[in-house]
Amino acid sequence: MFYREAGQYKTSYKEDSAIFPILQDRIAIWFYLAVAFVIIPLFGSEFLINSVMIPFLVFALATIGLNILTGYTGQISLGHGAFMGVGAYSTYKLVTYFPDTNVVVLILLSGFFSAAVGMVFGLPSLKIKGFYLVVTTLAAQFFLEWAFIRIPWLYNYNDSGAIEVPQREVFNIIVTGPDASVLSRYFVVLSIVVVMTWIASNIIHGRIGRSWMMIRDMDIAAELIGVRPLFAKLSSFAVSSFYAGVAGALMVFLWLGAAEVESFDVNVSFQILFMVIIGGLGSLVGSFLGAAFIWILPIVIRAVPRIMGMDINASTVEQLNFMIVGALIVLFLIIEPHGLARMWAILKQKLRVWPFPY
Amino acid sequence: MDFLYSVFIGPFIDMASAPDFLLQVLWEGFVAGTLYSLIALGFVLIFKASGVFNFAQGIMAVFAALTLVGLYEAGVPAYLALLITIGIMALLAVGVERLILRHMVNQDEIILFMATIGLSYFLIGLGELIFGGETKSMITEQLGLPTGSTTVDVAGGIVILQHIDIAAAVIAVIMVVALAVFFNITRIGRALRAVADDHQAALSVGISLNQIWAIVWFAAGIVALATGIMWGARSDVSFALQIVALKALPVLMLGGFTSIPGAIVGGLIVGFGEKLFEVYWGGLMGGGVEGWFAYVIALIFLLFRPQGLFGDKIIERV
Amino acid sequence: MSFDESYTTPDGRTIGGVLMEMRNITLRFGGVTAIKDISFDIRQGEIRAIIGPNGAGKTSMLNVINGFYHPQEGEIIFRGETRRRMRPYEAASQGISRTFQNVALFQGMSTLDNIMAGRTLKMHKNFFWQMLRYGPALQEEIEHRKVVEKIIDFLEIQSIRKKPVGSLPYGLQKRVELARALAAEPSLLLLDEPMAGMNVEEKEDMSRFILDVNDEFGTTIALIEHDMGVVMDLADRVVALDYGKKIADGTPQEVQSNQAVIDAYLGVAH
Repeated sequence: MFYREAGQYKTSYKEDSAIFPILQDRIAIWFYLAVAFVIIPLFGSEFLINSVMIPFLVFALATIGLNILTGYTGQISLGHGAFMGVGAYSTYKLVTYFPDTNVVVLILLSGFFSAAVGMVFGLPSLKIKGFYLVVTTLAAQFFLEWAFIRIPWLYNYNDSGAIEVPQREVFNIIVTGPDASVLSRYFVVLSIVVVMTWIASNIIHGRIGRSWMMIRDMDIAAELIGVRPLFAKLSSFAVSSFYAGVAGALMVFLWLGAAEVESFDVNVSFQILFMVIIGGLGSLVGSFLGAAFIWILPIVIRAVPRIMGMDINASTVEQLNFMIVGALIVLFLIIEPHGLARMWAILKQKLRVWPFPY
Repeated sequence: MDFLYSVFIGPFIDMASAPDFLLQVLWEGFVAGTLYSLIALGFVLIFKASGVFNFAQGIMAVFAALTLVGLYEAGVPAYLALLITIGIMALLAVGVERLILRHMVNQDEIILFMATIGLSYFLIGLGELIFGGETKSMITEQLGLPTGSTTVDVAGGIVILQHIDIAAAVIAVIMVVALAVFFNITRIGRALRAVADDHQAALSVGISLNQIWAIVWFAAGIVALATGIMWGARSDVSFALQIVALKALPVLMLGGFTSIPGAIVGGLIVGFGEKLFEVYWGGLMGGGVEGWFAYVIALIFLLFRPQGLFGDKIIERV
Repeated sequence: MSFDESYTTPDGRTIGGVLMEMRNITLRFGGVTAIKDISFDIRQGEIRAIIGPNGAGKTSMLNVINGFYHPQEGEIIFRGETRRRMRPYEAASQGISRTFQNVALFQGMSTLDNIMAGRTLKMHKNFFWQMLRYGPALQEEIEHRKVVEKIIDFLEIQSIRKKPVGSLPYGLQKRVELARALAAEPSLLLLDEPMAGMNVEEKEDMSRFILDVNDEFGTTIALIEHDMGVVMDLADRVVALDYGKKIADGTPQEVQSNQAVIDAYLGVAH
């Protein structure tokens, strides 16, 4: 009733193959953008923006990255936490060497370093398939973690072994460092995430994205049709790690302000994989939904006892948190293994025919 | 030149000049390898029977150990605590089958894999909620396991063998033999092998998948308990061990997901390899290489033999 | 009849010279010999059938033709040149395209995307334009969409254009697979049991499409088929295999009356 394509006639293939062919979808996208760019900055509290929105956007970007690899190309990776680290550490080195260059440019450049590292560790995927690939990406994870500790050059020989974000300005506005305002950081993160999501969507809907999905769905048939597995898999690893690297750089430079190796450990890799699966494999919308679910749910769980006036100590809440998240993940996989994105699609389908059941 | 020397010649001279130390390193590798093998064994059992890549195997080991120690600390006698823990592992197996596996028949492998990660989160939360988050020490003596060590004179020096390590190796061997006998001789073992081969075909000849799954998860739970005890006796009982448990993955890569001998051999290769590499070559790279050595070895190995040590050559068909 | 010159079939199609020649192909898997010393040729514009009982090595033969398996002995001459050992995608880029015995569609994609996938080799716009989905990349996408729409019209699958292929009935999936193979504008089309598991009506449709493809685009077709009636109606020449060896080669009538073929299908006391 409210959501349907009836009456919206397409008169060219260009219109028909648009990413949002339905008018209501286009309106919705503009609405979400308006909320993110205008409503939240105007009315959101500092807690909402700094502790909810910024990390949510950062993880959503990392999730898009992993979704490109796992959801669209069918290659599982448990190394994305470390690939985020590559982005963060290389931004740190770039900022050290080029103090006068626009930090946003450097953050984006750092993606190329993580893309290169991702391609190196993606090479085995040409011969190794399925769960066996998990081990090769775990090799990347643990090797890189080790490198982040044992190569002091990466953190400028700090005694703490941590990277600390220096202050940098873009157009005379402080965007990184302890003095950067929450709003300026939020706008930088949001802009980068929006632009990169748009680019991801373009790639996925074009020739390259199709070749990824061909490899995912049936690699042998894809090769017999003319997809070069080397190119398809490595390009996917590269793009995917690029996104992870930028997300890692954003995480450290525009959210945490400082980071050690623990910020990129294997648990982060798992967390991102969760976001991909809960959100929905092979769905960009799902990447946002999954990131929201996994990031925001614990915040809610932590807030519940406080709101209800119960006095439970912090570690108990944390343990309950683990249990609830674990149980919910299992429950989710049982109810809808295709993730939140599929639920979203079903909801839209229902809206299309409303008020009729079919 | 110096570098090449320190990579290709130096370590071997070190080995030859101090054979007793080399033996000690090998023994350490053997013990670590045994424990990797035990975790990998639990993985293999479950993967064979249900096609589930059980990420929670390492967590189950910690959970079992934590339950055992927690019960003892709550005043339950050691052997009774052991029995109760076995009971809890049985309950866990039935619970996993009832609440998770039964509802996920015919799902993709990756979905089942994710579900076991969810399960491990749940177990971590549950274990810490009941027994507290602080690290505990294993009740080795109370269970009648040997402690202390023996010093052996060999190769012009001494090698120290911890009794608990010897016990661990013996128990590992007993478990492997017992499982092999169980699966080769009993009716349930035959049903299990049928299930491993083809779920639907097994169903069609009247084998109860649910029953088999519960049994297999229980067997894996027992293996986990043994692993947890041995492991706890060597270090502490805490969920930090899950990172070490992940090393069962490269072990499985070497041995293949479905081969019990493969799990044993793979575990030993990883154990020996990483100790030797850490001691003799690790210094060149600043140490701490144990963290990734197993994975890199598995990776290199897979590049040349994608089917694992004991797998058949893969012929792709269309 | 001479096999060196072109000739015209009774129904008015022109069959040209040799397009592909297999010379003494032998293929082994470990100790098993799947194909033993087989030679035959495929001529420009003809419909060539490969028949034989199960396990005769037919699918292995197709896999050799499109570079998926590499024979231990023998050589393949394609368009007058000896072919070196190549990867499947290289064979695809030389204009060899195929369908599969068990439908091998990309289950996660729509019919339209599956057929667009068939045009992968024809699309070249670089990563930069793909990122922006603007200018040349968008134009390319639309041009190819037009070609794909022609194929969709040709095979009469307009109504399932946007459906995910996983939800389609078997017969339609086979048709989409044919569409995908055609989208590559192949010079040699390999069909592995295009009619397996179909009812009579679907078989008739499929036969008509195969003949139309051959007729309208002049595509050379090599097909594996079990239904002898279909083979007799469609094929210009037939090669029969049994236990990895060639037992007969010739027109459908010749092969049909060949004693070795009859024995292979009916079985004889050895």
